[in-house]
Order: sequence, then C-alpha cells, then structure tokens
Amino acid sequence: MSDPAVTVEVRDAHVSYRVFEEPAMGLKQGFARGRMRRQYRMIPAVQGVTLDLHEHETLGLIGPNGAGKSTLLAAMTGLLPLRSGSIRGRSRPSLLGVSSVLRPALSGRRNILIGGLALGFTRAEVERRMDEIIDFAGLRADIDRPMRTYSSGMRARLRFAIATARIPEILLIDEALTVGDEEFRRLAAERIDDVRSASGSVVLVTHNMNEIRRFCDRVVWLDEGRVRAVGDPADIVDCYLAAPSPNSR
Amino acid sequence: MADDGGKPGTAADGGKIDTAAEAAEAATAGVGAGSQEAPIRPLIDLTSRPTARTYLREAWRRREFAIVVPAQDLRAQNMDTTLGQLWHLVNPALLVGVYFLVFGVIIDTRRGVDNFLGFLIVGVVLFHLTQRVTLEASTSITQNMGLIRSIQFPRILLPAASVNGQTAAFVPALALAILAVLATGELPTLRWLVLPAVLVAQFAFNFGTALLVARIGTTMPDLRQILPHLFRLLFYGSGVIFSVDAFVQSAAWRRAFALNPLHDVITCARWCLLGEPVDLWVVAGLVMWSVLMPAIGFWVFHRSEQRLGA
Repeated sequence: MSDPAVTVEVRDAHVSYRVFEEPAMGLKQGFARGRMRRQYRMIPAVQGVTLDLHEHETLGLIGPNGAGKSTLLAAMTGLLPLRSGSIRGRSRPSLLGVSSVLRPALSGRRNILIGGLALGFTRAEVERRMDEIIDFAGLRADIDRPMRTYSSGMRARLRFAIATARIPEILLIDEALTVGDEEFRRLAAERIDDVRSASGSVVLVTHNMNEIRRFCDRVVWLDEGRVRAVGDPADIVDCYLAAPSPNSR
Repeated sequence: MADDGGKPGTAADGGKIDTAAEAAEAATAGVGAGSQEAPIRPLIDLTSRPTARTYLREAWRRREFAIVVPAQDLRAQNMDTTLGQLWHLVNPALLVGVYFLVFGVIIDTRRGVDNFLGFLIVGVVLFHLTQRVTLEASTSITQNMGLIRSIQFPRILLPAASVNGQTAAFVPALALAILAVLATGELPTLRWLVLPAVLVAQFAFNFGTALLVARIGTTMPDLRQILPHLFRLLFYGSGVIFSVDAFVQSAAWRRAFALNPLHDVITCARWCLLGEPVDLWVVAGLVMWSVLMPAIGFWVFHRSEQRLGA
C-alpha cells in the first residue's frame, strides 16, 4: 500500500507519440505503396519515469526542450496513452497549457461560459461565479470584447481564471505562467496556494528558473525522457544551470 | 504572498500538516471529498480510457454545454445581417422555392404526386437537416482545438453541440414545412402523430453520423471537401425531388432505395404528413439506421478519443 499522502503515483511510465511524416502522403505515393494510411514514426518521449506527488506540494518539472515534460503532463491527464507502466491518482488532474484561445471570435464573457460548462459547471453556477472569474482575470473593462483582440497576457489570465474557477485537486501547469506580468504571477501564486492548502498538488513545467525557485517545494529534472535528478529546488536548479546541455533553457 | 507556503517538506515527503481548518477549507472549496483525516481515497488509474458507461454518464452531467454553446453560436451567426434571426426561416423557404422552380416547373418531376409542393418541402427540409448536421459535425473537433487543449471534458459534447444547434435551427424550417402542407390542402390526420417518432429516429441517425464524421474529420480534413458531393449523390438517391415509386419500376431497385437512410426518413415523414405510400422495407430501414448509426458512431468516436487532443 502506498503512502496515504500521495496524490499522484507515476510508475515506470513510458509514453511514445506518433509523428506523422510531412508532408501528408499524396495519392501518388498512396497508390505506389498500395495503402492510404499515413506513415508515422513512434517517438519515445517519456522512458520510464517514476515519481510521487504529495498533498500540499508544488513540484517543478524542468529539463531541456524535448525532455518529455509536456508529454508527461499530457499522460497524467489521460490525453496520451501509456505504452507501459502506470499513472494513478486521486482524481483526474486539470491541465493548464499554452494553447491559444478557446473561441477567438467570442467575447471573454462568452468564453468563460463555454469553458465553465466544459468544466462541468451548470450555467447557473458559471453565472454566479462570473464576476469572481472576471475580477480574478483582471479583465473587468475588456470582458465583452472578442478574445482575439486580447494580448497574450490577457488571454493567459483569462484561461487561468477559467481553468481554476473550481479549485482542482491536482493542477498541472505547462508554461502557462510565463506570458503573464507580475500581477498575474501574484494571482497565480494565490491560486497555487489555494490548491495546496486544500490538500492538493501542483506540477509546474517551466523554463523560467525564477518561477521554480518561487513556487516549488521539490524539483524533478527530466532529460531525454528520464529522471535525471530530484530534490531541493535551489540545488537542482544550480546543477541544471551548470550542466553543459546544448539546448537547455 | 509570493513565497509563503514554500516551506513544507522540500524533501520527498510533502506534507503531514492536515489541520481541521484546512480540512474544512478543502470541503468548502469543493475538493478533497472525505478529507476527514482517516479515509484514504484509493488512487484511480488516470491513463485508461473510461468505460463507455462512465464516459456517457460524465457527458450527460455536462450536457448543458451541448445546449448553451450552439445556442450562442446560432445567435451570433446572423447578427450582422439585416434580417437577423429571420434567416432561419427565410433560408429554407428560398431553398424550397428554387427546387420548386427547377423541378416542379421547369423540369417536371411531379409525376405520380398529388401535392408536389408539400411533397417537395418535406423532402428538402428533412434532407437539409441531416446535411447541415453532418457538415457542421465534421469540423466540430478541429474547430475547437483551443478548447480541447485547454480543458479536459468528454469530447462527445462537441459533435453533440453541432447536432443540437442544427436541430434547433431546423425547427422554423419544420414549422414552415407543416404550414405549407396545411396550406396546400392537407388536413391533419392521426398519422401526423407518428411524425415525432420519425423525427426522433432521424435525430438518432444524425447523432451517430455526426460522431462518425467528427472522428474521421480530425485525421482526414479532406472529408470536408468530399461530403458535399456525397450529399448531392444521396440527394438524388433519396427521392427528395421525385417519387421513387413513380419513377423506379423494378421492385428490387425500389428495395435498394430502402438502404438509403435519408430516403427512409423522408418517405416515412411523407407518409405521416401527406399520406404518400410507404413500403415496409423503408420502415425497417429507418429503424435499422436509427439504432445502428449511433452505435457505430459512438464506438468509433470513443475508441480513439484519447488521440483527439494530440
């Protein structure tokens, strides 16, 4: 039996994803090969990661591009299937990513409604929390403008406000804080604390070492799909920055 | 604010700081069900696909999404036009007008039909519904990638929203069709009471088709180009503009038409509203499609849902 304080348990997880060959195969090649299925290669992105996430913890996930950080988060939310190993958790984590906007043509207010309903709120619940979400996003003046007219910082704030409107038990943040300003980071810190004080856990993926130092209790350094080091943020960040990795940060 | 709470457990073990206050807070925040200290909640497998049952229950819980979102989209659709929401009525009227002009007046396909306008309008309106649902659903996933990548929710809600939206937009057209049928001298009979059953069967068929094309449309965007032609072919094979019974002599061929789901829907609806003849094969075809298509659609959609976001 595992430690009762564990919220997510990753055991020897392997994730591969398909990369389709570019450009998509045309008719000519299709006929030549006698089949129309697009060719793809399996890229091993996560290769045997084991880690535990605990109550009240913010875990930082660092590593060079292509280390498998985002893939690991996607696997934790169930967006990507595991090839082997297991990931178990108390509840399905919410992933906050850097994707563009929900519905660019619609106003911020409509986007809050749509996002809230997708999250499982009833319409009445969304309406009730509307003001709170708008204020949290700091968009009182701009909320009725189409979302495509927002700056990237405003979009990030709105997405963050929507995704955390119901405090998730397990929150995964993939580079979603980087675009915001200092005020946004302060709000994000507040929400992260909300999650933690409610016995939840947060995983933060970022290339910004100040964010790691500021938010995280523990850091996992991923490299080529494997855990290279785990430990205290200050120590790991120092090692990471000193490492002669060609494309780190 | 920034760095408080950064203390508990830098090492592997993150926290044993459960206090009553925090437990209460957790409860009010709506998370951590049973943070009453003792009960240890079992960990659930996060990577496996939910069973069809749990999946459907979850989708049903969030069904409001598939109702509110298309309603908003419909409202936004004609916002900048002069006629505004009236277009949902004017559009099908014009559609029928064009077909009546071409096939009722210029090329006369009225053979064997007493009330051609009523015949035509019922066919056109019902056919158009399935066509609109299918086209809309084929891009329902690709157009909502932002939402898919931001929020974890049952993706079936997206094609479901297309179905609901187009079905709602179809209500004025249906009203128009019924008015036209009345205006051309038909009187309501007991058969009219069967019409809702036919429409429910069509809805089920549309829903299944929507799931299927939504799935195919994500890996093969070419579908968007193919579908209009497929529908044109179906259109002529559905007897929308002519009576299959009057034009097709061979009984075997007529039976083949029963395999066309849209022919089944339209023929049954005409039987209800206009008293046109209906073959038992056509009724059987409609029942079959309305059961088979949702099953196929759901199976295909659910099977690969996990890949949709990637």
